[in-house]
Amino acid sequence: MGVPYIPVRGLAGTDVFKRRDDMIIATNPFDPTEETVVALAQNPNVAILHAQKADRDGNALLRKHGEDVMVAQASHRVIVTAEEIVDKVTADDEGGQFISAINVTAVVHAPGGAHPAGVPGYYEQDADHIREYMRAASDEALFRQYLAKYVIGKTEEEYQAMVRQGSRVESHAAGGGA
Amino acid sequence: MTSAVACNTEELLAVLMSREIRDWEISACGAVSMIPAAALLLAEATHAPNADIIILGSEQLDRNLGKDIHFLSQRGKLDLFFHSAIQFDAEGNFNLHVVGDPNAPELRLPGGYGSGLMSYTAKRILFFRTEHTTRTFVPKVDFVSGAMVTPPSIKRPQDNFKIFTTMAVLVFDRGTNSYRLESVHEGFTPQQVQERTGFSLGSLEGIPMTPPPTEEELRTLRTEVKERMIETGTYPQWARTILQPA
Repeated sequence: MGVPYIPVRGLAGTDVFKRRDDMIIATNPFDPTEETVVALAQNPNVAILHAQKADRDGNALLRKHGEDVMVAQASHRVIVTAEEIVDKVTADDEGGQFISAINVTAVVHAPGGAHPAGVPGYYEQDADHIREYMRAASDEALFRQYLAKYVIGKTEEEYQAMVRQGSRVESHAAGGGA
Repeated sequence: MTSAVACNTEELLAVLMSREIRDWEISACGAVSMIPAAALLLAEATHAPNADIIILGSEQLDRNLGKDIHFLSQRGKLDLFFHSAIQFDAEGNFNLHVVGDPNAPELRLPGGYGSGLMSYTAKRILFFRTEHTTRTFVPKVDFVSGAMVTPPSIKRPQDNFKIFTTMAVLVFDRGTNSYRLESVHEGFTPQQVQERTGFSLGSLEGIPMTPPPTEEELRTLRTEVKERMIETGTYPQWARTILQPA
């Protein structure tokens, strides 16, 4: 949208304002009897969005439900990671939400890139891994162990090899390195 | 009076809340809302065949609305929305964020959006809780995720707020800014409800009994609604295990 802030109805009287400085209550400039929340625009430097399919120009098919296109349009740079790179993605393609290449800065082929979440038509979410992450995230020391096991110094291929079990159904899971 | 058929907590709440859903209106529930989903489908199968029903999180019944539901509610066009909370307090505040010290919480909950936005904009809010205890109904919530009382400058053309629990139906009156008992479920007294509530519910005299689920309501819930939940991908596992055999 490109607006610097936006009025929103709600939130009055909550403790949210004690913890955030990007939302305030302000008087409606056209109606002094009304107040609403005014929220500062969120403009990420970079958005990374995972697609089912993308083409080399940056057209892509994102998850159907969600605000990915809005996130892309709010961000300065947009990286689309995709399960598959195909010749052409168009707005007529079914199974996802189309994002035009004009909103996309770069495309990366990243099969399995949504893990531990799932991608409709490719693989289910990995509930065991999400539980492992949640246990780790509840404790500083456990989280360091999680990072050491899966993230720090690991390549994408090593990560995918470690988590490749049970629920993965797509071809890349059966093959060798990406 | 006795109810003809025994039922579990989820079935009780689904039946009681389904009665609040009105024909021709737009009623919705958010994600991970199994009891409201059952209530919506029960209403549609019984007294509200023309209701517009939105079940976020259902494979087939979420209507692909995405952010439309947000703007529908912001425009004041959403008639009814379901909401739960981990704590409610005497002043009409509710908490679906954290339990304990907000800086080092014992429990974190995903409550920011529905509490802070939907519950200010949908015309009627049905709160529900699968227990009725003094840990839920507290003198003061640990974190205010949403407030039922706001200054007149916050435009909120909403009805009184209702809370459905395992023991009673509470009403937060937007005129007096206080709670009262609307009805008490079969098997409980108003005094028992007050004992399990950490603030005053006002007068305990002349409180009617909640009409218990009828045989017909439970039968429909356990057959038509259960089948529809399973075939539309609306919490099918929950429907199979929680909704009892007819």
